[in-house]
Amino acid sequence: MNDRTLGIAALVLAALMTWAGWDIEAPFAYEPVGPRAFPMLIALIIGLCGLRLAIKGGNPVEANSAGANSRITLMVLVAGGYAFLFQWLGFVLATTLMTMLVGRLFGGTWLKCALGGVIMGVFFFVLFDQVLDVVLPAGLLGDLL
Amino acid sequence: MSGIIDHLSIGFGVAFSLTNLLVAAIGSFIGTMVGVLPGLGPINGVAMLIPIAFAMNLPPETALILLAAVYVGAEYGGRITSILLNVPGEASAIMTTLDGYPLARQGLANVALSLSAASAFVGALVSVTGIVLLAPLLARWALAFGPAEYFVLMVFAFCCLTSLLGQQPVKGVLAAMIGLGISVIGVDSNSGVYRYTFESVHLADGVDFVVVVIALFAVAEMLEMLEKVMAGHSVEVKPSGRKLFNLKELAFTAGSIGRSSLVGFGVGVLPGAGASVAAAVAYSQEKRIIEGKDPDAKFGKGDMRGLVAPESAATASAIGSFVPMLTLGVPGSGTTAVMMGALTLYNITPGPVLFDTKPELVWGLIASLFIANVLLFLMNVPMVRVFSKVLSVPGWLMVPGILSISYIGVYAINAGTFDLLMVVGVGAIGYLLRKFGVPMAPLVLGVVLGDMMEQSLRRALSITNGELSVLYSSPVSVGLWIAAAAVVVVPQMLRRMRQNRQARNAAA
Repeated sequence: MNDRTLGIAALVLAALMTWAGWDIEAPFAYEPVGPRAFPMLIALIIGLCGLRLAIKGGNPVEANSAGANSRITLMVLVAGGYAFLFQWLGFVLATTLMTMLVGRLFGGTWLKCALGGVIMGVFFFVLFDQVLDVVLPAGLLGDLL
Repeated sequence: MSGIIDHLSIGFGVAFSLTNLLVAAIGSFIGTMVGVLPGLGPINGVAMLIPIAFAMNLPPETALILLAAVYVGAEYGGRITSILLNVPGEASAIMTTLDGYPLARQGLANVALSLSAASAFVGALVSVTGIVLLAPLLARWALAFGPAEYFVLMVFAFCCLTSLLGQQPVKGVLAAMIGLGISVIGVDSNSGVYRYTFESVHLADGVDFVVVVIALFAVAEMLEMLEKVMAGHSVEVKPSGRKLFNLKELAFTAGSIGRSSLVGFGVGVLPGAGASVAAAVAYSQEKRIIEGKDPDAKFGKGDMRGLVAPESAATASAIGSFVPMLTLGVPGSGTTAVMMGALTLYNITPGPVLFDTKPELVWGLIASLFIANVLLFLMNVPMVRVFSKVLSVPGWLMVPGILSISYIGVYAINAGTFDLLMVVGVGAIGYLLRKFGVPMAPLVLGVVLGDMMEQSLRRALSITNGELSVLYSSPVSVGLWIAAAAVVVVPQMLRRMRQNRQARNAAA
């Protein structure tokens, strides 16, 4: 994991942008520069940056402390799950669940996190949905709220 | 002269309405709390509040006042932890720790806090005056810009932002290009062609600016917090004898405050250099000037002049950085880029015409920046204890809170699951990019400016039927090209010269 990795990733991105954008064409052109030029210009510059980084290399990425990577992966999964359940379960339930899991990652005890989650879910729902008029999904608790 | 008074009376008319005053007070309060929280700075606070302000149907000037108050408040909050704990809340507060923390250790915590608030207030005053005098002139000059000049101006802004951001400009360029690439996604407004939507309805309108900002400044930030297990700080603010600085101390530091405010404003107006650069420049300038003639100076060991210099400069530059955004429509810092994105949610494009078409917005914002600083000054001293309590909020409660508020905002924009999933995906990518040392500010600027940049390029080339010479035919654009090249080349050269000199000194 160093600048070379980043450079290769940038080259792949540039290639993907070129490949997916090559067919962009206006059905009838009435201006000299069509919709394809700008994305291709960007892809070119990304490619050049990638090339430079890949050739030069160096600057290894600081390794995370033991266990941090698994915590980060878990966090991404929980955030993804929260996104999925946000609408379906409703804000209060999803937030309670998320707080329990994320809270554990940050060193809270089960009881504290569960309690905090319920209180936070209800408090934010009342604050945003009822007081500030920012609509939130009620979900499974729809009839109760 | 009468023009200025007219403008200011419009501005204060807007800012002194009951709602806007209340919003400014709430914003300053929220901002200060965000600034106190470890790892969160102005840009995070502003990013999280944008969609919520929009969903609450606040009128644009009120929303902008809220965001500006949060911005200034978070700058204030950062200094509370710097002085009390030696923990800078964000980058621009690092210089504050140098003399602020030693002062607190000498039992002068409250004096240091109030003095820093006062110097920030003077910085704000100088900067607001500067905006009032400078901004209309700059806007008038920019009115004559054609699409070609605009395109070059945006290139210049990118050059400033990337070259000032540390050792590897190539990563800054990469970040800017990724941002521009994101802005291309969606339907092309000129030809109606779908670009990079991969047949998905959700991408037809493009990637929402809010999604990118929340992903980069809330989700990626949280992932970074997970790198080390966080422990909550609990702080006791010892009651010190005096709550306020006295006139003697004010007179002692007045010169430093004045000089640093001017430096801060100048640095802030330049696109790219933010509050942290301003604070560093002002501190080293004061150190040089004062240590030369005052043998009793004790910089780094609790000199009050070393405290006020970065404070007044940081605030002055935070406010000065509104100048390029308001007058040219090209934001000069990450935070103002985020704010400009907020305006585009309201279909308002910042730029020179804004002074004529929406004077209440521009001058209301300027007046509120002033009012927010007065409020913060009044709030800061009596409420230090309340704010430092925020520090004892444990991570297991704070992080879910941030995630939850972020999702509320994103959900409010489109009410859909797709955007939320997108936030997670972009956030994870953003975290990886950060690990590789790719700066985030140019990326945000790319997302905000992408559409405008492409439109001005295409419009400019339409005028000449594809002839590229239009991009360097007017004196303004030639000047901007030269300036753009200079900001890229000169810092590099200076860095190399310094390294050479050090190498030679080491050899000798």
